[in-house]
Amino acid sequence: MNRLAAVIVLALYSVCRQSSAGSLSVAVKDANGGPVSDAVVYAEGGNSGSAKRQAVIDQRDKQFVPYVSAVQVGTSVLFPNKDNIRHHVYSFSAAKKFELPLYAGVPAEPVVFDKVGFVTLGCNIHDWMIAYVAVLPTPYFQVTGGEGRVVLKDLPPGHYKIEVWQPRLKGAPEKLAQNIDLASGGAKELVFTLDLKPDFRAKRAPGLSNGGYP
Amino acid sequence: MKTLTKSAIAVVLFSIAVSGARAEWHVEGETGFFYDNNLSNSDRAADQEPDGSWKTDLRLVNTFQLLRDLRLTVAGDLQGQVWSEYNDFNRISPGAETALRYRFGLGHLAPWIMLENRIGYDRFHGTARSGWDESAGFRGGFAISDQIAFEAGYLFENFAVPDNFFDVQSHRLGARVIFDLTSSLQLTVGYDYREGDVIAYAVPPRPEIAAFAVEREEVTTFGTDPLYTGYRFPGRSHIVSVSAVYVLTKHVSVSVGYEYASTSHDPLRYENHLVEAKVAFAF
Repeated sequence: MNRLAAVIVLALYSVCRQSSAGSLSVAVKDANGGPVSDAVVYAEGGNSGSAKRQAVIDQRDKQFVPYVSAVQVGTSVLFPNKDNIRHHVYSFSAAKKFELPLYAGVPAEPVVFDKVGFVTLGCNIHDWMIAYVAVLPTPYFQVTGGEGRVVLKDLPPGHYKIEVWQPRLKGAPEKLAQNIDLASGGAKELVFTLDLKPDFRAKRAPGLSNGGYP
Repeated sequence: MKTLTKSAIAVVLFSIAVSGARAEWHVEGETGFFYDNNLSNSDRAADQEPDGSWKTDLRLVNTFQLLRDLRLTVAGDLQGQVWSEYNDFNRISPGAETALRYRFGLGHLAPWIMLENRIGYDRFHGTARSGWDESAGFRGGFAISDQIAFEAGYLFENFAVPDNFFDVQSHRLGARVIFDLTSSLQLTVGYDYREGDVIAYAVPPRPEIAAFAVEREEVTTFGTDPLYTGYRFPGRSHIVSVSAVYVLTKHVSVSVGYEYASTSHDPLRYENHLVEAKVAFAF
């Protein structure tokens, strides 16, 4: 009987919480008005809860998948190698310095991203393998796809600072920050226009001096 | 003792390669058009013979990451070149290559040094030219920024045809700067200084060349009317090059290149303008 009561209370709480949650739709554009993919949109403030504390970044066909990930600070990230060759994952970003020396399969231990910041990942064997992890102080985030648009759902009512980061962003995300007040059950829309640097990451292509296998 | 040392190094490298690294075979190659405005290396305009060729290079490559910063690359290759007019220069060359690269740290921006060598047998249509083609050298490089990298190196080239007119050796020092202009377009500008044997062809009599030539020989490569004479002598070359690579996919790229070479042995001087357009591929 007590168990049934607890379930009912939880269900009611969940329904109430859902009904009071707001949503934020964000479009991310470049200087020409085109959609920007791989942009991390995140909301700081409100009554920040906790996001999923585990994430996976695959290595498939000598590429990191996904190219851009967003996690809440403290998240454990696993780096399974799904290729039939070995990889050597590393980062020397200030937010997380680590190295997973030459390995195949799934590493025994995940890597805990315990400091807020933006982390660049590389593979020491395949120079074109690059990926990014945005380590955020909030559980409210999404990464844009090809349409350059995300919707942050289930935001509790409150005041938020919305920021956008992309690997090629010129300057700090704070410069573009927008503040909003989200009412209970409210919905807002924002547009961010990013000034992006050209993409000069190492290429996986023959004939290049810094591509393929130098 | 020398043989023992070489054997020991070979055994160590082989053991490390077999025990520590998995095979990562891939095929790469390039094919395209190559033009030389002065294939005869002549100083007189009347003796200069331009020609174009189709050139192909196929390589089966394996890389072994021996240690965190040390990589061994081994490859078997097959090079071929067919000239439009002067068939004596047509060649096919099976060979083997090795390269040992040490990188001072992680990532593609870290400085690196590389020892490399290739040995092949060049079988020419003009069979007298055929012989062992060896090269060995070292290179190093570093990235100045995400967009600009610098490389420099030394190469010893030995085309070994003992007791033969076509036996030539040379030393080459070179440097190049690589610019990533856009996400798909890379530009390379280079300079090389080459010192060593060269063979220049001319219609005799050329007593001023004969005066310093180490050896000379009549050749029918450029026909018999007139008959050319080949002169082998030590020369110095200054070579400037520029090339651009455009990436189409992760497997295919196209490139064009131009090279200007000025070779001299006082009082002789000849120039070459070389143009290349090719497709490179890797799988």
